[in-house]
Amino acid sequence: MTKTKEKSLYSVWFVVPSLVIFLVFFLWPVISSLYYSMTVWNFETATFNGLENYKLFFTDPAMSTSVPHTLLYAFATSGLKVVLAFFIAIFLTSSIKSKDFIRSAVFFPNLVSTMAVGLTFAYMMHPTKGLLNVVIKGVTGSGVDFLGNPSTALWSIIATDVWKGLSISVVIYIAGIQSIDQSYYEAASIDGANWWQQITNVTLPLVAPAQNSIIILSLIGGLRTFDLIWAMTGGGPGFATDVLASVIYKQYAAGFYGLSTAGNVVMLVLISVIAFPLQHFLNKREEAIR
Amino acid sequence: MKKLFALALVCALLASMAASTALAEGKPFDGVTITFWGGQAEYNDGTKAVIAAAEEALGLHVEVEINPGGSEGDNILKTRIASNDLPDFLCYNSGSKLYDLNPSRCFLDIKDWDLVSRVDDAFLSSVTIDGAVYGLPQSSTQAGAIIYYKPDYEELGLEVPHTWADFVDNCAKLKEAGKTPVYFCGGETWTTQVLFLGDYYNIQAAYPTFAEEYTEGKAKYADIPAATRSWTKYEDLVDYLNEDKSAATVADGNFAIGVGDATHWFILTQQLPMIVAEAEDQSQIGVFGVPGDNPENHGLTVWEPMSFYVNKDSQNIDAVKAFLDFYYSEDMLNLYFETYGANGPSCIKGYELPESVCDAVRVDMQQYFDEGKTTPALEYVSPIKGTACEQLTVAVGLGQMSGAEAAAAYDEDCKKSAVQLGYNWD
Amino acid sequence: METKRKRNQIIGDIVGLFFTVVIFLIPFYFMFVQSIKSKKEANRLSIAWPTELHFENYIEVVKHGNYQLVTAFKNSGLLTLFTVLGLLLTGAMAGYVIQRRKGKLMTAIQSTIMLGLMIPASILPTIRMLQSMGIYKTMFSMVMIEIALQTPFTIMLYRGFMASIPVDLEEAASIDGCSRWQIFSKIIFPLLKPIQATIIILVGVQTFNDFTNPLYFLPGAANTTVQLTLYNYKGQLANTYNLLFADIIIITVPMLILFLIFNKRIVAGMVAGAVKG
Repeated sequence: MTKTKEKSLYSVWFVVPSLVIFLVFFLWPVISSLYYSMTVWNFETATFNGLENYKLFFTDPAMSTSVPHTLLYAFATSGLKVVLAFFIAIFLTSSIKSKDFIRSAVFFPNLVSTMAVGLTFAYMMHPTKGLLNVVIKGVTGSGVDFLGNPSTALWSIIATDVWKGLSISVVIYIAGIQSIDQSYYEAASIDGANWWQQITNVTLPLVAPAQNSIIILSLIGGLRTFDLIWAMTGGGPGFATDVLASVIYKQYAAGFYGLSTAGNVVMLVLISVIAFPLQHFLNKREEAIR
Repeated sequence: MKKLFALALVCALLASMAASTALAEGKPFDGVTITFWGGQAEYNDGTKAVIAAAEEALGLHVEVEINPGGSEGDNILKTRIASNDLPDFLCYNSGSKLYDLNPSRCFLDIKDWDLVSRVDDAFLSSVTIDGAVYGLPQSSTQAGAIIYYKPDYEELGLEVPHTWADFVDNCAKLKEAGKTPVYFCGGETWTTQVLFLGDYYNIQAAYPTFAEEYTEGKAKYADIPAATRSWTKYEDLVDYLNEDKSAATVADGNFAIGVGDATHWFILTQQLPMIVAEAEDQSQIGVFGVPGDNPENHGLTVWEPMSFYVNKDSQNIDAVKAFLDFYYSEDMLNLYFETYGANGPSCIKGYELPESVCDAVRVDMQQYFDEGKTTPALEYVSPIKGTACEQLTVAVGLGQMSGAEAAAAYDEDCKKSAVQLGYNWD
Repeated sequence: METKRKRNQIIGDIVGLFFTVVIFLIPFYFMFVQSIKSKKEANRLSIAWPTELHFENYIEVVKHGNYQLVTAFKNSGLLTLFTVLGLLLTGAMAGYVIQRRKGKLMTAIQSTIMLGLMIPASILPTIRMLQSMGIYKTMFSMVMIEIALQTPFTIMLYRGFMASIPVDLEEAASIDGCSRWQIFSKIIFPLLKPIQATIIILVGVQTFNDFTNPLYFLPGAANTTVQLTLYNYKGQLANTYNLLFADIIIITVPMLILFLIFNKRIVAGMVAGAVKG
């Protein structure tokens, strides 16, 4: 289609409402935060102090440990969702009878608020009374302090996150699998490919666009995660589950607005240096497959 | 037109009747609504009883908004101050947290109110900034101390310990007898700080200039042995805690001490009314201060109560003042303490707590006050408090970190706070 | 061959159902069973069926704090409704043009909006700005913020879906003399139904279940939202697990109903939506 035709058919004005709301209520505050992150700010006066806040952020162990936790959390939840959701989606696009029911059940956790899910799982993981420990104790004799032990706490939250967030990935995969043309499978079948080979040689490559969306969405969601951690451990025990967003929140709660805003900028940079190259890479991969 | 006139007349009549009945019954604030913001703990049954009585007597209506507490609560308050959106009066901490609010821009200076002269100096100093007085005590004083289940002590023939070594000894004996010596509430992290904060009496006894030097960044927890001790005490208790130490809540703690599922709990005595409510008899519950190393100097670290603050820009200052005058009348103080109970001795001069208040307050705590063995908590003498304190006390309490490491980490944490508060520690 | 396939299918059904029940339904059973226990029994957090049924927990939760839950439902309902409607319209318009028009301007707009997927919102500067505009603590500003936060994701879905709609339609309509607005409102918008079901569910759930944003931007008792009612069961009512879970169930039901209405269409919208993102 020619440029003029595009212009005559599609008015730029259609983008304006979205763009204005987005710029005013989201982007402008973000941009102004760049300035505030370089101040000691108490809402009345903002005293410029250069890069002090950033220096403090990275030299304080309580804050800097949140960076590896954030990365672990994001990559683990994203990885688990990408893999698990794929197999569930394969299962739910097969010819089994209960697929509608199962798909609905998998979606249920997504309907409950993060706060409620966090509280429910924290109670199910209670070291003495929790359902999970009652079962584990029945089998092995001793319980697991899921959220109280620093070596299991973060993983326990990761598992809960996957439980809650899996459904979106499953739905996207199902959509991707359903849009694959049946003729590819027929061709593969004629070539003598078995079920597993059909999955690896047909489904997996052709579902790549869907998979890319899942990777990006879940990874970014993981890097920004806050609600679930706050509801389950508040970053504890000690600092074992503190992630960037919870540290930012704590500095904010303490009234250290400049420092908190600096944390926000650190998160922004971290997400950018991961997400942009990753997206670029995934797009390249997608094109290579085609 | 005639109809309209008649209508107006009826309205005027009704209005004047309403006004006159109000006056006749002596309800000067009939129809006035004042707004209040406070936490669940402050809006307790005692407060509710007094509010109900005040609404009856004064005719005003108190609209209550609940502060969710913790850091969310602090956040909401700070945000609302920044946006000039405060209720007519509210309840919040006295001491260093009041400093954080920069009260001169939002709270009314009440130093000219008659009520102020009835409040003791220790409390007033916690709400006085640059000569201006901002607050009135919502409740009684309280301590960061050890609340214990007395029948366990009687059963094993134990004595109230006056040194830390004796305390740990008692714990060992309790454990041998199959009891849970110390209750730890990792599920609500603020509670875990009480051992550390309540030990301040002992730091101050061994190193009297600590608060001052700490504020200036000269005294460090990691360097001064008496101060490091506040952190290493957690290590001594690791083997004596309840099984669900990482998840237990305050409500669990109230129950555990009340019925004797555990023997000791390092906690603020604001929990006493709730613990006593769980106990079979109030006399089963006792209190003693966090022991130090000198048996002759076993004292109590004291917190001032939460405080009522009045919004400087409120349209209803007169009504709020009338409400507070009413609140501090002898009858209402009695009503409050009889309904809810007390956390410690009162800070109203010359007022005696009613007899219904538990022995733990009227006997156990009172004796420290009578002997002068009390000291205000560090937050009343220094504006600096690290924000990661409760995370560190949980970590060291659960044995995930050594006391020395925690002390050093806390020094770093305090430095961060100092920078944000405008101190130069380098 | 045929019987073997049938057998596999049955095994698949059984295994699938087993795992679904254990992993996805037991937690819901756990929530429900606590909600109908006495306070004491719920405190044990077991999944045993209660010795006595206490359905009155639900009534108590609704009545708590002077029917606070009713106010909360009204606020959350309005917030969700306006946010969803706003996004359905503005997102569709933007996604439509962004997908159809090429060129530097569109690429720039597109990249700018997609930044929103990556960057976390800045809370304090936002409050600052709302104050200076005099709209802090209003339902209007809360709706605008929710829309702004969810615009990138919505546009992404719309744009993906638009790609599956042939351009010929618009060209034909244009030749027939339709204006640009008519083309959009009469021809394109009705075709977007499948993806709109997806958006209603995802945006609706996200907004209704939002905890943090209303906490910051819409404080105050009169403005309380359903998620904030969970706070009642910390503090004073702590350890009343029966009431906590009754509350959780009550505030989850509306989303469950929404889901059941749009369930079948969620995947249909996604088929062309996020996949081609």
